[in-house]
Parts: sequence; C-alpha cells; structure tokens
Amino acid sequence: MTSPDPRWLRVPVPGNAGTATEGAGMAQATPYPRMPGGGISRRPLHFIILADCSGGMKGEKIQALNFAIADMLPHLAAWERDQEQAQVFIRAIAFATEPRWHIPDPEPVAQLGWKPLQPVPKGLTNMGPAFALAAQALAPGRIERRALRPAMLLITDGLATDPPGGFEAGLSALMAQPAGKLALRLAIAIGRDAQSAALDRFIGDPGVPVLVADSSEDIADRLVAASLAVSRMSEAGADRGAVARRLLGAPGDLPPNIFDQDTIV
Amino acid sequence: MATDSTTDEVATWQVITGSARGAAHRVSGLPNQDAVASQDGSGGIVVAIADGHGHIRHFRSADGAALAVDVACRVASQAAAGLAADATGDEEAERAGQELARAVVADWRAAVADQLEVRPYTVEEQFILDRSADTPVVPYGSTLLVAVIAARWLVCAQIGDGDMLAVRPDGSSFSPVAGDDKLDGRRTTSLCQPDALASFRTGAHDLSQMPLAALLLATDGYGNAQADEPWQPSVGRDLAELAACHDRHWFGQEVPGWVRRCASSEGSGDDATIALLLPGDARDAEEGG
Repeated sequence: MTSPDPRWLRVPVPGNAGTATEGAGMAQATPYPRMPGGGISRRPLHFIILADCSGGMKGEKIQALNFAIADMLPHLAAWERDQEQAQVFIRAIAFATEPRWHIPDPEPVAQLGWKPLQPVPKGLTNMGPAFALAAQALAPGRIERRALRPAMLLITDGLATDPPGGFEAGLSALMAQPAGKLALRLAIAIGRDAQSAALDRFIGDPGVPVLVADSSEDIADRLVAASLAVSRMSEAGADRGAVARRLLGAPGDLPPNIFDQDTIV
Repeated sequence: MATDSTTDEVATWQVITGSARGAAHRVSGLPNQDAVASQDGSGGIVVAIADGHGHIRHFRSADGAALAVDVACRVASQAAAGLAADATGDEEAERAGQELARAVVADWRAAVADQLEVRPYTVEEQFILDRSADTPVVPYGSTLLVAVIAARWLVCAQIGDGDMLAVRPDGSSFSPVAGDDKLDGRRTTSLCQPDALASFRTGAHDLSQMPLAALLLATDGYGNAQADEPWQPSVGRDLAELAACHDRHWFGQEVPGWVRRCASSEGSGDDATIALLLPGDARDAEEGG
C-alpha cells in the first residue's frame, strides 16, 4: 500500500515507547503501524455499589456514607493508574423499599464525581430486589466477556426487611448469572446490629468476613479496606486468601473460596 | 519471535509468531508464561501456543506451557505425516484431531512427571501445593492450542481459553473448533485437570473446499486486549485485507509489535502470544508496505 488507510491511524498512547511524541501543547501524532481489529483497551473491572438508603440512614449516617464513597473513589482511581491491567467502572444502586439505579451506566472511576445519596423517608431495607437489579446488569451480553471478575459492595445499617422469600429470590437471581456468582462480593455493616447472617449469605464465602463500621467515622476506613481488597484481588496472580486475611481480617485457618477462582474450571 | 515455512504438494504456509510478557507480569515479577513453537513436519506444518495460568497455584505454569508446545509439536508432526501420506477423508481427519488431543494429554503428563523427577518441588513450592490440596500436576497448568496443516487438511485441537480464528479470503471468519461454555472469561479449562481430554475441542477442515487467507492462534492476552466485542469479525476482516496486500516479511515485522501492544498496560496487561499462518501465495514476491 502506498498510503495508510485512515482506519489504521491510532492515537498514540503516552508511555508506549517509540510511538508517541510527548510534550507540552498538542501531541505530535505518530500513526501506529497497521494492526488488525478495532483497537485495544484495558479489561473492564465493574464495581457495583449497593447502598442502603432506607429511612434509618437519614442524617449523620448517609452523610458519612456519601463522604466515605467519595473518599474511596480516588483510592480506586489511584490503583487503576498504578496497575497494568484493569479499567475500573462504577455503578451504584440505592435501595430501600425498592431499588433504583443511582449510577445506571458504568462510569470510569477516574471521571466520576460522586452524587450524594438521599435516604428514602420510611424506606425499608429490602435487599433482594437490589440483588435482582444488579443481576440484570451482569447478565451475559450486558457485561463484556473479557471483563475481569466484577466486584459488588453492599453497605447497610440494618437487617434485611424483605418479605418472605424476597431476599432469597433476589440472591438466587444474582447467583444465576455467571458474573454474579463469580463476583467478589463484600459487605459493610454500619453498626454491630447490622451484621447479620443475610450479609454472610450475600458474600457467600465463610472465609470473607463482613466488615463492621462501629461508628459513622469508621465507614470511610471500611470502604477503603474493601476497595483495596477488590483491587488487590483483581491483580494478576493474586493470592486472594492472603489479601483477604491482610485487608479484611479473614481468619487464617479458613481459606476463602475466592482462592480457588480465576484459575481452572 | 520465530518465523518458519514449509512446503507441501498443495500449498506452502508460513508461520509468523510473536509473544510478549504482560505488563502486569512485569510489575509482579512473573515471567512470560506463554509459549509458542512451530515445526516443519513431513508434508505439513505444525504450530502450537500455550498460556500457563497466572494464579499462584500454578507456580510452574511457564514450564507447563513450554512442555505443552514441545509435546504438541512432536505429536502433531506425526499427525501431519499421517494426514499427508494417506488418502485421508473427513472421518480420518476428525479422528486425527481426537488422537492428537489424546496423545498430547498423555505425553504432557509424562513430560511433567519427567521434569519433577529431575526438579522436585522445593519446600516453598510444596507448601503452596499442600495448602491448595492440589495434585502435583496442577502447578504446571496451561492451556494449549495446536494446529496442523498437512495436504488439504487443517486439523486443530484446543483446551482452555484463547482463540483460533480461520479467515476466509473474503474476510469472513470462524473458529475451527467448537466453543466451550465453561470458558466464562475468568476461568479456563486446563491440561492439568483430571479430565483434560474431555475438555479438548478438536476440528478438521478440508482446505481444498474452503481456502483460507489466514489462520490466527492467540492466547487470551491478545483477545482480552481487543476493544471490539466480539473482536473476531473485525480482526478477521483486517487480516484478510492485510494478507492480500503484504508478504510474510511485512507480517514478520509487524506481529511482534501487535503482541507488545496487546500485552502493554494499554491492553490486557497479560502475556500475549499469537501465531499467524499464511498461505504461501500471499504476495510472497511483493515487498511489504
């Protein structure tokens, strides 16, 4: 060919030796040699936050939660910058009596400005429908085949108030999706009273404890620990059992099931 | 990178290979755990790529991948000789693929056992093995994709993730082996699993009935870097176009760059390996560019 097909001209990526001219002002674009396909990108890591917005969260708790999430996101963004494999996308579900998408479409973590959650007056803590809503987003065809194992973080200050069978139905819907079943599922209980068997069932791994925030001030620390766990566990070759023990306080004599995942069928 | 060629009575095929260590592996100190090999057999060409699993359970997976491609090339060369010598029909070609898989599994396990004889697990390795409650072969876990082109036959066998893409001259493409629902993008089947043979997928295709412009074998570090989903149609279209315009020397220069980009932190960050087979009449005489 005597001239390059415009389809093959890719914007150079800084740091890719020999392909980009860096400097202040306008980048001097150097076309990549021809490469088949539609270009390359990092593997998506979908992180879904399920935030309790029931009536009990009003006041200091919801403020602390909003602060904590806003504080957590830069940690995830920093990890995204520092590692070599994943691009983190955030979605969020606010749940009370009914769930709703607070962030419906996957947002790159580096560009996300957290919009504060609002509690639902007299709203209940129905978790099952929130799981079912997340399950829809993790269905085949809705999540990329090349995506890393997704992560889910459930944050609540109370016990599930689902009507009979509601919690189980939602959890079953989530587990019915391959990506939901394989997801790293973590939970934060705001207050000891919120630590329940239901949260353990959501996590689905006796080797991964519920993180407890004893006070509103603790929420930020627990969220950072959870985000670190998600990011470290998503790294290539990670010993997830060791990560869980170090960051989540998982008991050493009970290896998390997550140790077995991302290897062989 | 290695470049090979062979000739038979029907067509000459060239193999261009490239393999790059993943950016994430570089950071974590892991080696390139992929392996690639090709071999001229009597009357055919053989190429194999393998992807050693990155999980700590599979701490000797780079060795497992290297053993896999060596074994596969040796076994597949014997298959190539048979395919070229006989008046092979559809059923025989299909059986050749199945026999190839059977022999690879048996010989790979034997090769692992041989290596363990001369290089037993260290105390540290044995600790990991015990903690995982794994059998001694699991640390060597690897995928394998192997293709044989002999006479008019393309015979393929694959276990685990990664992709084979057969590209027609019109740019349409297909996988020469069946898909596997167990491969969800996060877990893979493996040579190290007890029922490995049952997880092999094989295929045989008569190239005299269905000429190809290219055949691509790729580890998942290549496919996981592709932004398109699915990526195979656009890659197939582009490969057909490129094969019509460029000779193997051009591909030999470009392929290493493709895998380096895929393995970089802008791509999958994982080890990336491809083997590209091109029919010999693909603009051999023309200068690339």
